[in-house]
Amino acid sequence: MANPHPTVAERVERPAERPSTAEPAPPLTFEVKNLSIWYGEKRAISDVTLDVASNAVTAIIGPSGCGKSTFIRCLNRMHELVPKTRIEGSVLLQGQDLYSITVDPAIVRRRVGMVFQKSNPFPTMSIGENVVIGLRLNGVRDQKFLNERLEKSLRMAALWDEVKDDLHKPGTSLSGGQQQRLCIARALAVQPEVLLMDEPCSALDPIATAKIEELIYELKTQYTIVTITHNMQQAGRISDYTAFFYLGKLIEFGPTTKIFTNPSERQTEDYITGRFG
Amino acid sequence: MTLPRHILGTFDEALASLRNNVLMMSSLTERSLERAMKGLFNRDDDLCANAIADDEEIDQLEILIDKDGVAILLRFQPVASDLRHVVAAMKLSSNLERMADQATTIARRARKLNQHPPLAEVELIRPLYEQAMSMFKDSVDAFVREDVDLGRAVVPRDEKLDELNRSASRKLIERMAQDPEQLRGYLNLIFVGRCLERVGDHATNIAEEAVYAAAAEDIRHQTAAATV
Repeated sequence: MANPHPTVAERVERPAERPSTAEPAPPLTFEVKNLSIWYGEKRAISDVTLDVASNAVTAIIGPSGCGKSTFIRCLNRMHELVPKTRIEGSVLLQGQDLYSITVDPAIVRRRVGMVFQKSNPFPTMSIGENVVIGLRLNGVRDQKFLNERLEKSLRMAALWDEVKDDLHKPGTSLSGGQQQRLCIARALAVQPEVLLMDEPCSALDPIATAKIEELIYELKTQYTIVTITHNMQQAGRISDYTAFFYLGKLIEFGPTTKIFTNPSERQTEDYITGRFG
Repeated sequence: MTLPRHILGTFDEALASLRNNVLMMSSLTERSLERAMKGLFNRDDDLCANAIADDEEIDQLEILIDKDGVAILLRFQPVASDLRHVVAAMKLSSNLERMADQATTIARRARKLNQHPPLAEVELIRPLYEQAMSMFKDSVDAFVREDVDLGRAVVPRDEKLDELNRSASRKLIERMAQDPEQLRGYLNLIFVGRCLERVGDHATNIAEEAVYAAAAEDIRHQTAAATV
């Protein structure tokens, strides 16, 4: 039986009791292998291999034009909306090849939700309609079910208490930070497995940013999150893993604490310390 | 390794200023220790007084380095090697301040010894002094030049200093028994030896910080950890 009043020495974690340095590999949501993407003649991503851990936040950092957005858009086949794109390599979601000809891109986008840099609630719809539109488009008509999912999604997006009496008002009547959380609620309503976020806080003030960051931290217990950020401190605060892209290549990928205390690559060090970008 | 300049020039200036203040504090501490020990060996009270006076400036530098370090953390949120260097600079300043306190103690003991006839046994302290000062200089060099090998090499040298101190203390205790009239003098020399032994401990800390700053490797308490 454990001693109910341990001494300080007993409470100190001893090196001998620590797990071995070979920690078990975390379960994976995405396995990206040798991925290259072209827009016409331009190669935007070159031979990227990267595993995305489940129930964790993976931050993608890198200077503008390095391929961050292209990379996360290929995780739900959103990049295919741009004409003349071509892809090589593979992206497995829970072991299933996303680019298999038998896979419907619409299904992929339901499993892998996305939140964009600028909040984009549908301007003609109310707050409530904005949240459940994905379900309605998928044929859900049961109003009780829709109401339950509406409340659950808004609660998960930490917006319910602020809008519960104004669900009929236009989505665009909310503040910028609230609109962004509304978009997160909209993405959550279809119960995706993954949330992709493309600079979700870049247009927000510090308070709204803090709310989104806290939300990301809470959501990772239920979702796998991949987020792009230009804010190094934010990447350090919210993510478990960080990937640094430069000129379409993955320069370094690893635990965030490692990347931000002792990166292995000189280019990573120069970028995160603000020596180039 | 010379890193390119930051995009923010003010960040470079702040880091350079912090580093310069650490270097200034190191050289003042070195001077203070040398003055205190020369005051002992040459029976020079003026040098002892100078060593004691140096302490105030060193204390002020410790405050300044802490203040500047916190300001850099606050304003620039450094990461990677920049973060390690800021943290190491703040830890160095704390160790240097304690070394300077040891110099003050040595100078005070030396002034007491200088009031009495010279003791030949003061030469028992010289090997400790040389060992402690070489460890101190090499540890600061390791930090300045980001020399991981040199920093690593300083750490085991502390054992030799401890042994020198034990040996000198044993001989001085024997002399106390043989010559009780000089008991206070021998006791003061034992205290000086202990101060130098502590200087070695601080030099070891600085060497460990130098390795951390340069290579992000924590080499502290490795012997203890291995035996747990």
